[in-house]
Amino acid sequence: MQDEPSLVRRAQQRDREAFAQLYETHFDKIYRYVVLRIGNKTEAEDVTQQVFLNALQSIPSFKWKGIPFSAWLFRIAHNLVVDYLRKEKKRATTPLDESLVSRTTDPQLVAEHRLDIEQLISATKQLTEAQREVISLRFAGELSIAEVAKVMGKSQGAVKALQHSAIVALRKTLSAGEANETG
Amino acid sequence: MKRDKEFNNILDECLERLLVKGETIEQCLRSYPEQASELEPLLHTAVVAKKALAIQPRPEFKTSARYQFGSAIREVRYKRGLSFLGWQSRWATAVAVFLALLLAGGGTVAAAGNSMPDNPLYPVKLATEQVQLILTPSNIGKAELYAKLADRRVAEIVYIINKGKPEQVEPTAERLNNCLVMIANLPLAEMGEERALPVLEQADEDGKAIYAQANRRARLRMLLGRYAVNHPAALRTVLETVPASAKPTLRRAITLSAASYEKAIEALD
Repeated sequence: MQDEPSLVRRAQQRDREAFAQLYETHFDKIYRYVVLRIGNKTEAEDVTQQVFLNALQSIPSFKWKGIPFSAWLFRIAHNLVVDYLRKEKKRATTPLDESLVSRTTDPQLVAEHRLDIEQLISATKQLTEAQREVISLRFAGELSIAEVAKVMGKSQGAVKALQHSAIVALRKTLSAGEANETG
Repeated sequence: MKRDKEFNNILDECLERLLVKGETIEQCLRSYPEQASELEPLLHTAVVAKKALAIQPRPEFKTSARYQFGSAIREVRYKRGLSFLGWQSRWATAVAVFLALLLAGGGTVAAAGNSMPDNPLYPVKLATEQVQLILTPSNIGKAELYAKLADRRVAEIVYIINKGKPEQVEPTAERLNNCLVMIANLPLAEMGEERALPVLEQADEDGKAIYAQANRRARLRMLLGRYAVNHPAALRTVLETVPASAKPTLRRAITLSAASYEKAIEALD
């Protein structure tokens, strides 16, 4: 596979194969990020598709100014998620369905995994918007701290502090959930 | 404060080692024995969160999304090709097609007007539409025409499905999607040529023109509002009966029809 800068340059020239490679590289990560932010499978699929259609339209204006391509792409995803959440603020979300569960053959693991996903989405809803964004970009999007900082327009130090506070808050929420279930 | 910063750095380094390099929690804790008690629960939470996120998009969704993205790339390349050709070439094309249609005879063109995709005269109908588009200078005129063409394509899709000719669905839906993409991307908010301010001595005439223009925009808004409801509804009714290969294109048409009209209406407001 070619390096990302040359792929992006080719994609800017409307090279179909370069587009396809960028798409395959980032699709799953963007999907996971959107699922974690939205918590609704069907809507996450639509938003994920829209991220790439918007990227296709905007890629001629992308410039390498210290911003990695992945950060630029997640910025588009972030904007679409924010738009979606604004529009859907008052609408109840549907629960996650089977297709969100990781494809594993062990039924016990499937059950645990499902529980974890639902708990995780529910727990991240207790975080502040910035904490939730950091967790989604870092764990679902698999971005580095430097990339998260670019997407969020914050310093790396600020993102590390948010990451710390977010994990502490997540731990508290998940522990409280476990205590409620066992108690 | 300094201690917090140091701890944030250590936590981030451990996360990187755990989540990217595949090291264990114990290995990280051994590197930072003084912070181990504080680090351990946080690293466990991070591992649980990461495991929970090991989800994959549905394979059917990935396939359909990949196909639709491929179609979108083709559309972009096509539009770029048109832009590269420049207006002179488009006019030359219009004149050539117009002459060809003239040679084919006025009767043929008229007869082709109502032809459907299974009719031999259908290509003449498409060529006539291209000439109409090229000869329509204003954006608002183009929007009206694209909406009218989209309406025709929806009617054609319903017709060919009812006729039991599924092989025609995909190319017709592709043509519909092209119209919808064009509607969504027309700069209707600017309307440069339609919004030209009147010079004083022509105020009355221009006042009438502006009034007529406002009416035209209002009519277009109503038309698009109607299509925004009717077109997705009509396409949904036939979605189940189209062949599997045409479903992704038709689904995209349903999504696009709602979104494109909405975008054009917003631009008109």
